[in-house]
Amino acid sequence: MSMTGTERRLLKKARRLKTEIEMLTASRDLRIERETEKTAARRAEQLRQEGLRAAEESFESLGADEIRRAITEKRLREENERYAALRKEILLCGYLLSDEENEALASAHESHLERIREKTTAELSSLSNPSAGKKLELPAVAEEGAAPDTTKLRERCDRKIENAKERLRNVERRLESSGASNRQAELEEGIILRIQDLKMYFGGVKAVDGLSFDVHEGEIFGLIGPNGAGKTTVFNCITQFYKPTGGTLLFRGRENEVVDLTKEKVHDVILHGIVRTFQNVEVVPELTVLENLLIAGHRQYSSGIAASALHLPKLRREEDVIRYKAEKVLSFMGLSAYAGAYAFGLPYGILKKIEIARTLMCSPRLIILDEPAAGLNDTETADLARLIRRIREEYSCTILLVEHDMGLVMDVCDNICAISFGKLLAFGTPEKIQTNRDVQQAYLGVDEEGESDGTA
Amino acid sequence: MDIKQEYLSAAYPGGAKKNIGSNIRAVFANPLAQIALVGVVLALVQFLALGGMISSAFAYALGNTLIYAIVAIGFCLLLGYSGLASLGTAGFIGLGSYVAFYLIEGMGAPYYVALLVTLAVSITIGVIVGFISLRIEGIYLAIMTLALAEIIRSLLMVLKATIKININNIVLFGVNVNEKAVYLLITATFVILMVLTSNLIRSPVGRAMLAMKDSTSASQAMGISLMKYRLLAFVISTVYAAMGGLLYMMYVRNMTTATSTLLTLSTSLNILGAVIIGGAKSLWGTTLGTFIIYGLQSMFLSKIRFFVDHPAFITMITGLLIILVVMFFPGGFAQMLAAFRGWLRRKRIERRIRAYVDDRN
Repeated sequence: MSMTGTERRLLKKARRLKTEIEMLTASRDLRIERETEKTAARRAEQLRQEGLRAAEESFESLGADEIRRAITEKRLREENERYAALRKEILLCGYLLSDEENEALASAHESHLERIREKTTAELSSLSNPSAGKKLELPAVAEEGAAPDTTKLRERCDRKIENAKERLRNVERRLESSGASNRQAELEEGIILRIQDLKMYFGGVKAVDGLSFDVHEGEIFGLIGPNGAGKTTVFNCITQFYKPTGGTLLFRGRENEVVDLTKEKVHDVILHGIVRTFQNVEVVPELTVLENLLIAGHRQYSSGIAASALHLPKLRREEDVIRYKAEKVLSFMGLSAYAGAYAFGLPYGILKKIEIARTLMCSPRLIILDEPAAGLNDTETADLARLIRRIREEYSCTILLVEHDMGLVMDVCDNICAISFGKLLAFGTPEKIQTNRDVQQAYLGVDEEGESDGTA
Repeated sequence: MDIKQEYLSAAYPGGAKKNIGSNIRAVFANPLAQIALVGVVLALVQFLALGGMISSAFAYALGNTLIYAIVAIGFCLLLGYSGLASLGTAGFIGLGSYVAFYLIEGMGAPYYVALLVTLAVSITIGVIVGFISLRIEGIYLAIMTLALAEIIRSLLMVLKATIKININNIVLFGVNVNEKAVYLLITATFVILMVLTSNLIRSPVGRAMLAMKDSTSASQAMGISLMKYRLLAFVISTVYAAMGGLLYMMYVRNMTTATSTLLTLSTSLNILGAVIIGGAKSLWGTTLGTFIIYGLQSMFLSKIRFFVDHPAFITMITGLLIILVVMFFPGGFAQMLAAFRGWLRRKRIERRIRAYVDDRN
């Protein structure tokens, strides 16, 4: 099992290359998107100019009605915009309007609109244009030229990506020749996490005592148990917040290699794609929502402290790409509206979502959710169940969750492991767990035969 | 407006509207531009003093305060961003000044050699303290750093009780320099360190430090190594403090360890006070805080007869100021400024609402 130094170095290199490829891909998408936007803006401006010229020439033959309509509309629109801007400003600076002020504002707006209508009619009553003249034809938007020619840009980026992929293949080949077969021997195909005889003692308290279970790749796995059963302790052992007293924790890494998690540092666990949320949400309140996501991308920066101190172009490029990724994740989670808001004072449900969004920033392989439904109402919990499934589809990862809400667990989980006092109680599909007598007893107390139909 | 023109703009809205005012505002919103501007003003003070338009005592006091500002911005990164408390600042300043003495006076080394040695020494000390900070936290860490500073002070006293640098020995890029040139050197150092620090806090490093301060567990789960960033924070603050000490020695040029207040706890506390009343997360706030604590006394109050006769009142005033600020604005001047801005904004909104409602004719 023990890996040689060369192997470890190769694995690290492969992981770095994978991150690099991912960054390059995101960078390519970002650049193409920007290019497209720029071209579209240019094209729109061009059309506008063309239209202006055409309209200027044919102005005399335009109908007076048309002119009146357009100008009135424009003036009303401007007034509406002014009003909306004022309203927005009021909202932004947290100014509380009294009822009178509110009414006065609304009625002032109405009277402004009315006055504009009157004034415009009076002003435009003496137009020399034919009253039933023609309407202005807007030049059609030409389809070709609207989309920019990004093939060159794409090719250039793809070459870089291909280059990195070639290097990755090289590393992988060398890995294979260094004895990959015996590296995979310990975990059967399809198992992503194996917990074997896990023990975590705090002094005399045996929080986890000889627990074993396997998590399969791509499944949603639930860990349940009464309060104090040791569920969160198991999570803390997997993510190395606690160093287990005994037992093995094996994980299938990105290179299909078997990682002994107990040998990893707590801040390196994320490199294997293991990310977690916390029971009591741990979001950085002093940062904006977007910046909170950037923190999760921390290990994807390859520029160091000097680059940060000098704001070198390399750092700025990486920052751009990771920001783009974060925006993508935010829109996937439906949080885009909050991107610029400080996390301080946001509603609890949003904070929970931010935590989940954070786990999606680093191409996760195993997402560990610690009571994601705690403090959510029924609709929010139903949304959460959908979200968990969507995350599994979109990111093709495995999800491990601790939860008290039995509805959610039975709904989304493929397999469930029930524990009590740090020991395994039952393992199996939701149906099996629901009918298991030990589980019923652990949750509902002892005896009272046959009365309960399952879960809390 | 001409009806034809208005119709055209109605049918084809859009088009770029260039606003010079907003462009200028954007330039001044850039932190680097702000720092550069302040740097130019600070340098200008020395030239005005040379021309006799400002008293040279004022310029001297300003330079002295800037040295403390350099120390304070390093401390700002430690306390405000990384959430680590230290009371050892004075000891780290002392290190810098003794390195300056031994190298410049003792060996006749030019400035950049002294600077490099200061960097090396302070980085070493910073790393050591950083490692210790991994084991102990909060108030215990503060006491530990205080003890360390006392050890350094006693050590320096044993080494040499009085240190003095001859102005002719200060060589900068092969030229002998006077006090005025050292002032410019202080300004340049301040500007450079301000730029570096401001860059750092707006980069992944600054975010990582904030994350570490607010939640050690979340930051570790996100892949942030506590060790790396705690060490970094301590190294930065020690390096800045030692550079302050180096510049102090070149500027003031003599110090008696036993009587000098520079190496005692009071300096550490003053720096801490400056950072807190300035706003621990704001570099400009911290700079302002230093000017209140050190500059107010040396640049303004020392001109007033009453305070010259009764210097104890100066300390009382600063003390009172700290109490008031911390009571009403725990976020320091930075928070005060934000509150003031918010107030202005609300006033402006009220005016705009009234204008909108009254605009009926």
